[in-house]
Amino acid sequence: MKRTIFAFLASTVVALPVGAAEFTWAETTDPQTMDPHAVNSTPVLGFLNNVYEGLVRRGKDMSVEPALATDWEPIGDGEGWRFTLREGVTFHDGAEFNADDVIFSYERASDEGSDTRSWFAPISEVVKVDDYTVDFMTSAPNPIFPSSIANWMIMDSGWAEANNATLPDKENGNYATINANGTGAFKVTAREPGLRTELMPHDGWWGDVEHNITKATLTPIQNPATALAALLSGDVDFINPVPIQDVARLQSDPDVNVIQGIEARIIMLGFPHEADALKYSAETSDKNPFADVRVRQAVAHAVNVPAILQTTMRGNAEPASQLVSPAMNGYSEGLSERPAYDPEKAKALLAEAGYPDGFSFGLKCPNNRYLNDEAVCQAITGMLAQVGITATLDAMPVQNYWPELRADNYDMYLLGWSPGTFDAEHPIRFLAATPNEEKKLGSWNFGGFSNARVDELLPMIQSEIDADKRQAMLDETAKILQDEVAYVPLYVQPLVWGTRSNIELTQRPDNFFILRWVTVN
Amino acid sequence: MTDTQTNQAAPPEAVDKSLWQDFRESDFFYAFKRSPVALVSFAVVCILVLSAVFAPLIAPTNPFDPASLNLMNGFTPPLEPNAFTGDAFLMGTDDQGRDVFSTILYGMRISLFVGASAVLFAMVLGITLGLVSGYFGGWTETIIMRVADVQLTFPSILVAMLIFGIAKGFTPVEYRDQMAIWVLILAIGLSDWVQFARVVRGATLVEKSKDYVAAARLIGRSPWAIMLKHILPNALSPVLVIATISLALAIIAEATLSFLGVGAPPTQPSLGTLIRIGQGFLFSGEWWILFFPACTLLALALSVNLLGDWLRDALNPRLR
Amino acid sequence: MLAFVIRRVGQSILVLLIVGLVAFSMFRFVGDPIDNMLGQERTIEDVERLRAQLGLDQPFPVQYFRFLEGAIQGNFGVSYRQGREVSEILLERAPATLELAFVSGVLAIAIGIMLGVFTAIRRNGATAHIIMAASLIGVSLPTFLIGILLIYLFSVELGWLPSFGRGETVSIGDWWTTGFLTESGRKALILPAITLGLYQMTLIMRLVRSEMLEVLRQDYIRFARARGLKERAVNFHHALKNTMVPVVTVIGLQLGAIIAFAIITETVFQWPGVGLLFINAIQFVDIPVMAAYLMLISVMFVGINLLVDILYVFIDPRLRVDRTGGHS
Repeated sequence: MKRTIFAFLASTVVALPVGAAEFTWAETTDPQTMDPHAVNSTPVLGFLNNVYEGLVRRGKDMSVEPALATDWEPIGDGEGWRFTLREGVTFHDGAEFNADDVIFSYERASDEGSDTRSWFAPISEVVKVDDYTVDFMTSAPNPIFPSSIANWMIMDSGWAEANNATLPDKENGNYATINANGTGAFKVTAREPGLRTELMPHDGWWGDVEHNITKATLTPIQNPATALAALLSGDVDFINPVPIQDVARLQSDPDVNVIQGIEARIIMLGFPHEADALKYSAETSDKNPFADVRVRQAVAHAVNVPAILQTTMRGNAEPASQLVSPAMNGYSEGLSERPAYDPEKAKALLAEAGYPDGFSFGLKCPNNRYLNDEAVCQAITGMLAQVGITATLDAMPVQNYWPELRADNYDMYLLGWSPGTFDAEHPIRFLAATPNEEKKLGSWNFGGFSNARVDELLPMIQSEIDADKRQAMLDETAKILQDEVAYVPLYVQPLVWGTRSNIELTQRPDNFFILRWVTVN
Repeated sequence: MTDTQTNQAAPPEAVDKSLWQDFRESDFFYAFKRSPVALVSFAVVCILVLSAVFAPLIAPTNPFDPASLNLMNGFTPPLEPNAFTGDAFLMGTDDQGRDVFSTILYGMRISLFVGASAVLFAMVLGITLGLVSGYFGGWTETIIMRVADVQLTFPSILVAMLIFGIAKGFTPVEYRDQMAIWVLILAIGLSDWVQFARVVRGATLVEKSKDYVAAARLIGRSPWAIMLKHILPNALSPVLVIATISLALAIIAEATLSFLGVGAPPTQPSLGTLIRIGQGFLFSGEWWILFFPACTLLALALSVNLLGDWLRDALNPRLR
Repeated sequence: MLAFVIRRVGQSILVLLIVGLVAFSMFRFVGDPIDNMLGQERTIEDVERLRAQLGLDQPFPVQYFRFLEGAIQGNFGVSYRQGREVSEILLERAPATLELAFVSGVLAIAIGIMLGVFTAIRRNGATAHIIMAASLIGVSLPTFLIGILLIYLFSVELGWLPSFGRGETVSIGDWWTTGFLTESGRKALILPAITLGLYQMTLIMRLVRSEMLEVLRQDYIRFARARGLKERAVNFHHALKNTMVPVVTVIGLQLGAIIAFAIITETVFQWPGVGLLFINAIQFVDIPVMAAYLMLISVMFVGINLLVDILYVFIDPRLRVDRTGGHS
């Protein structure tokens, strides 16, 4: 063993900045597939970002930077985007990268069976201009298209065809489900789903190597206490996430470091805007108090967000006032105040709305989806009870949660939203637009919130090229959502990673762990 | 269960005025008085059960009333004033600002209620099926014993998860929040009846062939009367032993289930739910959130187990 | 004799069919797999299409029949989560669970019998009483807590043993992997094996003790003593041997329980066996994996049951099967 490491060092010492090392890390969930187009979820895309690459990628500060494309520019007056591809890039198996792979990957990723299909909804046509130039034509001007495809990963057409994996297969799986062949800095050398995935550096990678890893191993560990024990005992070098309550203990331990940041995810309360009556009320079963904006305002004032952040989140989260966090593109700076904690005002608002004695209702909550979700809901239940509205809390695992929400079995619910595009337009499209199956709008707007002006603004925001005008429209929408209390945004979910103290890495707000930024000292 | 049957129980006709006196003069009571283990564990069980029953009188706060909680009281160490509110608590507070001492008392109520009801349910079901299969034999017996096999096939935790899932599908939405407790009782009870059934069936098979049963049958007593009045008393002591040990098992089973996410709701936690919540704070230094509920559970289950152990030996005259 | 065996086999098959039906009907309430299979940007149309693709829009009897049809041919379908053959995944995970079950079983039997004999011989000694009481502590705390406490003590505080996983494994043949051959593999086994075997150890110890006490007062033991045989020879050669029939029965039945309870141990220790696979499957609503696991466990339990019954009749034809499988 020692000898092989030595031999390896001798051969690659020039390319590596510091002494080379092996690296092991643990996450709660294993990426369920190695196919970059099959599942659009953080564990999958985050992991595969180390293996596959897109035309563009996000840097350490989330800004969009060149990857497989070196340059891109709008075509004409918003008719589309032209991408110039990087030359001399090779896949892990040695194949050359060119425009055919881009066209192939577009077709693959926009197929009906692909989970990444919605990214290409604005695209009308993709044209290969030459081997290293591709045009993406859009049906309407689309200023954010390049940044919206930062997670769209390019697969080698030859490899996919040779292995019968030209389309993602969610149902039966195929070669690409357990094997990977990208252009990224790391290649998958061993994969045991649910147990262990092993990565090695890709020698022919086009970029500058910043890391010093010779081998990296990902092991999923589900039980948070076990993962923490693994980090403390040195069995792993990095865990994500660290349970919030253990931050203080880790900070006091000289052998480990805690890296904290703010995730893109906003945690909020949702209401049944459309319902005629409450479902879980002992005495108010004939009407829906939450249809009254004053009741929703009362809820916003009754929840003591600072106390939740102080106690449940241990001072590791920031309050939220809108559906996106300040780190996102299109955040409305002028609307950063969230309703103050004011139980008296909440009671007054309830009385004004005709509920001086309050009412009872049912609060639904997941218990394994967001950080401390169940504890937060419990705390909210207590706070609402203190202004007279008593919730029956029903917390359940997420696999039961979404079906419940879809069946409208709630009077109030907890939701977290992380905009995949890192843009304020994203939550408007999914959470605030009137649900419309045909136009694919409002698909997560369970409560059926509907506002004509918001619906009118959304397409205008989507196609506006002028940044200032666009921001003005986003501000207007955010103001409407605040005034109407469409949702009660609570806080931005914190991001807490733990490492051994000899590890240096960079944390990105999308919770992607990028291996090429890791240094083992 | 090697002590399948003992002929300890008095003939049922002999029940008369001085039952208590009989009991005090019995070997059983004598052995009890002389066993320190039995005395101590009995005392512990009594204290814990009584404090659970009278929890509303003893507990300084009502942890099940969300309106009375102050989140800022969260994570207060035992006997130290909280940094924000200045309140102090005997055993500290948990993540919701609930007084751990009160929560344990209320939680024990739920644990004991679930445990006792589950055992009662298992006992009634098991005794009935055991008597019926032993007495009637034939197809009835085959079916019941095969059902028992199915039951053993499904480990108790799987049975409970299954029932939980199905109950969720069938309970009307407005009753869901109370459902958890009843489902736990049903689930734990259903996974425990087989032992009762087997012991009772064994005893029934033995007694059935004896003369006095044949005589009772001859004079025309109904099968149910024979089963309940003549056969069952002979199986009572092993049933009592199983019941005691099952109670401890049921309380632990409830805790295990809550680890798998099918336990009592966090707003009305049982001891098991408290331990599940508390284990999340083991590494972070808030040891009291886990320590006190775990000790209570240990004390409860251990003394019930010790009592069951002693009972088994005491009721088996051959071992004296 | 043959009629009895045939009848019992027939009954066992019926039991399996019922188990399958019950297990399968439960899946409709576990949750909806679709949400886990699609990302947050899915449309209602995508949801419906995938549902139809997986056959989840079919009526329940049709789904059950299709499942049975496949199961009989050993084909449990493809995992929703991993997109691979379920039978392949189960085979891959089985060695981990079997090795863990084997080690904890051996531990439980060896220590259980030793302590059982000891406490029976010294039934009134102080040490015996302490052992008896201490053994109850292990069954008076939930398994998950014992596991976490062991990790805390031996991995975090003392740093002696690994906190999770199987360590390094070595492949033997086509699909078996073993942790026995590497040091890290053996070390990784210790804590989970103790956690899993503790309950069975207590059970066996108590059973051996009460059987021994029973046997020790039999006449032939007294005669043996009276004949001047050495105490050790009497205890082990005569007494222990005669307690073995019920002990073996219970051990047989407990083997299944060990594998079932491995669910919890494997979750706590991230042990890559079938139990962890099952828990993951529940969280993901991976119906093919759940169904296959439950069928596997059922086949095992029913098989052991059948075997024990038949063995009983062979050993002692007078015995109309009556044994207790429970906790004694």
